[in-house]
Amino acid sequence: MHIAATDRTPAIDLTLTPLKLVMAGESFPEDVSAFYGEVITSINQLVTNVQGKLEVEMAFVYINSSSIKAMYRIFEGIDAYRQAGNEVQVVWKAEEDDDIMQELGEDFKDRFQSLNFTVEQHG
Amino acid sequence: MAEDVFDLYDREKLLLAEGQAILEKGNQEELQAFAERLFDRFSKLVRENEDLTRHSDRQEQRLVKLNRNLKNQTLELEQQRSRLEGLSQQLAKYLPPQIHEALFAGKYDTQITTQRKKLTVFFSDIKDFTRTAESLQPESLTEYLNDYFSEMTAIALSHGATIDKYIGDAVMLFFGDPDSKGIKEDARACVEMALEMQERMLVLQRRWREQGFDNPFVIRIGINTGYCNVGNFGSDQRLSYTIIGGEVNVAQRLEANCDPGGILISHETFSQVDDLVDVEERPSVSLKGIDRNIKTYAVKGRKTESEKPLRLSHPQGVHIDLSPLSLRPDDRQLIASQLKALAQRLEDQ
Repeated sequence: MHIAATDRTPAIDLTLTPLKLVMAGESFPEDVSAFYGEVITSINQLVTNVQGKLEVEMAFVYINSSSIKAMYRIFEGIDAYRQAGNEVQVVWKAEEDDDIMQELGEDFKDRFQSLNFTVEQHG
Repeated sequence: MAEDVFDLYDREKLLLAEGQAILEKGNQEELQAFAERLFDRFSKLVRENEDLTRHSDRQEQRLVKLNRNLKNQTLELEQQRSRLEGLSQQLAKYLPPQIHEALFAGKYDTQITTQRKKLTVFFSDIKDFTRTAESLQPESLTEYLNDYFSEMTAIALSHGATIDKYIGDAVMLFFGDPDSKGIKEDARACVEMALEMQERMLVLQRRWREQGFDNPFVIRIGINTGYCNVGNFGSDQRLSYTIIGGEVNVAQRLEANCDPGGILISHETFSQVDDLVDVEERPSVSLKGIDRNIKTYAVKGRKTESEKPLRLSHPQGVHIDLSPLSLRPDDRQLIASQLKALAQRLEDQ
């Protein structure tokens, strides 16, 4: 799955070989359910369709509250994949001077403690 | 296909719908199981809500901070703009308005470049200034001088002159750069300006006398038209927008030879304004570096309408230059009827 970035929505790439989910950019879509629905459904289907290590990389510049609600659904889907016995590695990237994105990453890490979750800063 | 549309709150909505049915049924076991699922979902929702509220607060804080910074920056910019405006107004007094305007519009080139251009150059100074100055209290001298320069500057600017510089009691200005209306119009504007200056001087002299200045300033004016080098002279560190050349010196020499209260113009200037002013020919002057005698004319005043020559010229061989007042009445009549006949023939062709 590939969704190109717009000035309101992030770029999203979900590949099976290697098994990897990458999300990057800004997120304040007009209709959050419509935008994230397909992503959430695809992630929920991983558990029945594939096996093996899943790498997740997220690098948001801005994310609104409705998108955070969608991110919970995404992380729940990822956690379900882990619970099925698969290895999962999540890297949350925040820009060096962006405390808000960094703290949000820490919040997700705290809520999904079973995931192998790291928060990184980049310049 | 409304069923296919994804809803972020689908699980919560499903629970609510399910709960409604279970409550109506009132089965204890089902209620117990539902309460557990409800509790689990509610716990997650509370956690999500906590996170969302915290995130929302952080965003709000950032916005408040950004807004505060923006206000401070706006205030700082406003102060800077105000400082620059003040500075610009101060600078404007030291620069010719055309140059000042072009500089602040970003259209002025501050390279050391000059060009050769036909300009009309004006020089004026106050007769016996040193002696007059010595007879006045410094405060009075300053007051009268400021009065004099302010009035002359206003007249110069209203005619579109480029004020080059004030040299002690002298004024040097020119027409033809950076803006020009053409060589003829520039020369005419300069002579018109000089006439207005001398007329204004008469008013000022009366006023100064009433104020106790018994020997008020009288000025001499010299005007010449010719090719000069105009532009930025100096170095990269310090530039001066000015004019140089032999023709500039001619204007200065004319001023020195001028009658007090008068205007002395060169032949080159006279040829551009001969239909505009009455003149009296004066002795020619010679100048080092200028290999010709310069014919000079004292301006006596503006020509009246009836004194103005009748002129018509066209490259196809037409050249009429008549001074009606110098013609006898019967000659005037004869020429008029001949011209009418020619005009008629021309129309009938």
